Amino acid sequence: MKPFQYIKATDTATALFSAKKQKSHYVAGGTNQVDLMKDNINYPDTLIDITTAISKDITATDKGIIIGAMVRNSTIANDKTVKDNYPLLAKAILAGATPQIRNMASTGGNLLQRTRCPYFFDTALPCNKRKPGSGCSAIKGDNRMAAIIGTSAECIAVHPSDMCIALAALDATVQVTTKDGSKQSILFKDFHRLPGTTPNLDNNLPENALITGIKIPVNNFYKNFSYLKLRDRDSYAFALISVAAALDMNDETIKDARLASGGVAHKPWRWYEAEAFLKGKKATQANFAQAASIATKGTKGFEHNAFKIPMLKAAIEVALTNCITV
Amino acid sequence: MCFFDEPTTADSPKARVEGIAKVTGKGKYAAEYDVAGVVHGVLVGSTVAAGTIIKMHTEEAKAIPGVIDILSHLNRPEVPGLSGDNKTKFGLPIFYTDKIFFSGQPIALVVAETLEDAFYAASLVYADYTAEDFNTDFNKNKIDLKADGKERGSFAAWQNAAIQLESEYTIQNEMHSPMEMHATIAEWTAGDKLNLYDKNQGVNGVQRFVGGVFGIPPENIHVSSEFVGGAFGSGLRVWPHTLAAAMAAKQLNKPVKVVLTRPQMFVMVGYRPQSWQHVKIGADKNGNVLGIHHQAKNTTSLYENFKDNITGITRKIYKVENLKTESAIVPLNMSTPIYMRGPGDCTGAFGIESAMDELSYKLNMDPKELRLKNTSVINDPDSGMPWSTNFLNECITQGAEKIGWENRNPVPGKKIEGDWQIGYGMALGFWNSGRQRTSTAIQLEKTGKLTVQCAITDIGTGTGTGMRNIAAKNTGIASEKIKIELGDSDLPKAPSEGGSTGLASVGGAVVAACEALKIKLATYAANQNANYKTIKPENITLENNGIGIKNDSTAFISFDELWTKNNLDTVKVEATSGPGDERKNFAFCSVIAHYCIVQVHSKTGKIKMQRMVSVADGGTIVNEKAAANQVIGANIGGIGMALMEEQLADNNFGRLVANDFAGYHFATNADAPMIEVSFIGKADPNISAVGSKGLGEVGLIGCAAAITNAIYNATGKRMRDLPVTPDKVIMS
Repeated sequence: MKPFQYIKATDTATALFSAKKQKSHYVAGGTNQVDLMKDNINYPDTLIDITTAISKDITATDKGIIIGAMVRNSTIANDKTVKDNYPLLAKAILAGATPQIRNMASTGGNLLQRTRCPYFFDTALPCNKRKPGSGCSAIKGDNRMAAIIGTSAECIAVHPSDMCIALAALDATVQVTTKDGSKQSILFKDFHRLPGTTPNLDNNLPENALITGIKIPVNNFYKNFSYLKLRDRDSYAFALISVAAALDMNDETIKDARLASGGVAHKPWRWYEAEAFLKGKKATQANFAQAASIATKGTKGFEHNAFKIPMLKAAIEVALTNCITV
Repeated sequence: MCFFDEPTTADSPKARVEGIAKVTGKGKYAAEYDVAGVVHGVLVGSTVAAGTIIKMHTEEAKAIPGVIDILSHLNRPEVPGLSGDNKTKFGLPIFYTDKIFFSGQPIALVVAETLEDAFYAASLVYADYTAEDFNTDFNKNKIDLKADGKERGSFAAWQNAAIQLESEYTIQNEMHSPMEMHATIAEWTAGDKLNLYDKNQGVNGVQRFVGGVFGIPPENIHVSSEFVGGAFGSGLRVWPHTLAAAMAAKQLNKPVKVVLTRPQMFVMVGYRPQSWQHVKIGADKNGNVLGIHHQAKNTTSLYENFKDNITGITRKIYKVENLKTESAIVPLNMSTPIYMRGPGDCTGAFGIESAMDELSYKLNMDPKELRLKNTSVINDPDSGMPWSTNFLNECITQGAEKIGWENRNPVPGKKIEGDWQIGYGMALGFWNSGRQRTSTAIQLEKTGKLTVQCAITDIGTGTGTGMRNIAAKNTGIASEKIKIELGDSDLPKAPSEGGSTGLASVGGAVVAACEALKIKLATYAANQNANYKTIKPENITLENNGIGIKNDSTAFISFDELWTKNNLDTVKVEATSGPGDERKNFAFCSVIAHYCIVQVHSKTGKIKMQRMVSVADGGTIVNEKAAANQVIGANIGGIGMALMEEQLADNNFGRLVANDFAGYHFATNADAPMIEVSFIGKADPNISAVGSKGLGEVGLIGCAAAITNAIYNATGKRMRDLPVTPDKVIMS
């Protein structure tokens, strides 16, 4: 790890003031940042500790809930309001990482996790995300974990978070304070990016800006929901495929549906067309299967990950079924 | 040698002798010892799989404050064992070659005042290489097979067998992944005297190897390995990082510590090699196996030959008159593999026990009955010698009862609960039970405090605890008064703890030392009571506070009296024991029957273990808790082997991919079901005075096949390529 200067910021203004272009990084829970520094992928001159600079509060209002960016992942998963009104979020968080990591990891940091594509982590090999222009080793290499939708010729990496899949499904908003102190809200669906020709950029957070909180609007998805994560082992493994599903039911009719996936794309992926199909339909196996077919029709596999397409289809069907049976 | 004297806990004597030290952190792993003035070494790995180093770039790293030196092939100290023609006698000739054999090969050791300085500087070291072709693809080149063991009978004898089965089985590379990183602290205490704190499975082996490399007598090297945080075979040889630490310590005249990183653990301390097997079986309609042809290949490196004994189990477990076994090794641009828990047999069992299961369905016969019909439990079919003991059939029968085998549906894919398909599977495991020559010393004090000493390492298997249990039983002295000292080359000599020989070896030596102690005490006691003069050892009784004679209550003499009258200090004895003539008359084996129930999701391919039952014959069970712990752990290893463990290489770059714990999955608690382990528990009267046969290896052998056989029973899908990740279920 390259030696760095350490600054502990006590408020947002100090944190933003300390940030310098390219040379400084923020650290909150450190569960990803420190790994990246150890592996010489991140090598900031200055590390700005923001654990006391941003909110640790969960604030519920009649319009929704605001989760401070410094709230630890396990705190969210154990929060009563979250469990009662936004249980999909709690469920997704508990499917991720380990208790130890969740106890450290921050809400804001969870959004900023880098991909777990193995080539991104091996500095001896080409990776356009780590070193723009060096090439993508995964396209013709070991791409079992790679994306099946929204890929580009330069990157086929996937976003690793579980929490973000629930946030995408629940139409969250990311609250941001930029370097000049102005506040912005970014819709969750617009926060993360597809790789395109700039796979080095994971998201649209302005340079040196801080995530201060996440807002989730009040919704009716707290009764019929499920988070299904398929992985190589039952703890501490990233998703092969994950599905966040939620239904707003009126008797047997689906009033509204949300469907999002991890392990499929460079960003948390919403299946809007499948959601639209489900609206107004009966909650039947046939309709669930049809929704799953609609979702998977634009997907494309690579040498080692073609299995993700039938797995995704099955996972969507099972997740939707679990919404009304489990 | 001070950590095994903690007070024992409530459930003594079953409790681990080192348990409190381990869970409180008082016990030290190799890297944790405080050595005054120690400096830190970090290895730099090659970034290419083949080529010759043209130039080392070390300038930037040398400029980092705190960096002391950077060792490479350009400036290493003179080491006789790595010079000249000896080059690969000691494995990879670290710093004695400019050739690259595999990606990640250590090419430099950065030594700095702090670990942080060393790591940062190591990240700045790189080399230029000539470009050379490489191969990491196991399947790329055709390799000819050679006979592996003597052929029995002939092919002709079974070519018209009524039932024939032919299948191929493949397994990816697997990694030992012990909790403790391999590490060495090396310090030259005089010109030719070396002190090592080292993670390994045998301190005397390290002395011999390092002595050979540096051209000094083994006894000049002191090796301390008191606590070992798992090894699974990775500690059965000395690896280049240990030599690098000793070289740097010599060059700099300072103690040097080298700890591998987790990714380095994947390329520098061996692995279970990728394998291919082809099994052909012929049987008659009644399920009598008439002939077996078992072929196998495994990876090796370009600088050493490593053959896993994959077909060995097939030669030993079934009474088959016509048998041919063949094997080959496949040299690749990979580091050298090493024995990994249940080496060879574990791989071979996946082949033969999958094939036997396939055969049972062809025969429409219960796979348990097919096994009972064909096991060779009287004689070792290979040597013709009788088994000393072999309770494999009892293991099969008891296991079937425990799992409720009668609830298995013989037709695959028919037992369904919602979206889940339920399947039952079973398979057998076999391991040659060995024993090696071992010495043990015992010291007794007036207080009745007994100290048992042996150089053997305890790699987490409970060896020290077993030594205490055996000493207590053979002296009559209570467990809490017995102290164990082990894992140090100053103690009486022992073999490496490997091949499931640990307890059989040291157990015999502890019994011998207990006998020697009784005889020595009796010679002192004879000064007080003439009855001790002609006494036989078996009639001497020891208690917490004194010595006596069986059926003679008047003969008791307290240690107080004995010590005072004879003016004694500490009574010391040492004894050695090892295999003898019994090996000319008997063959020895540990055996196991594994049963399991799995559930497979019919849509997503998810596999969930529901229950596992293992019944093992390990002879006398010295400590049931420790023994069951071994087999439960092995079963969890079996889940990993069957369902998730694989280390792939990227053949475009000749480099391992995802070689860390985010990428390499072994089973967690969440993946493990209830695992029920039981033992036949009958003593083997010939193996040693203790009667125990090793259990460490056999617990894993056959486990993976039991799981894949259950997957077949659940789904009708025959999985012949490990690991069976959910994608393979979906796509087959």
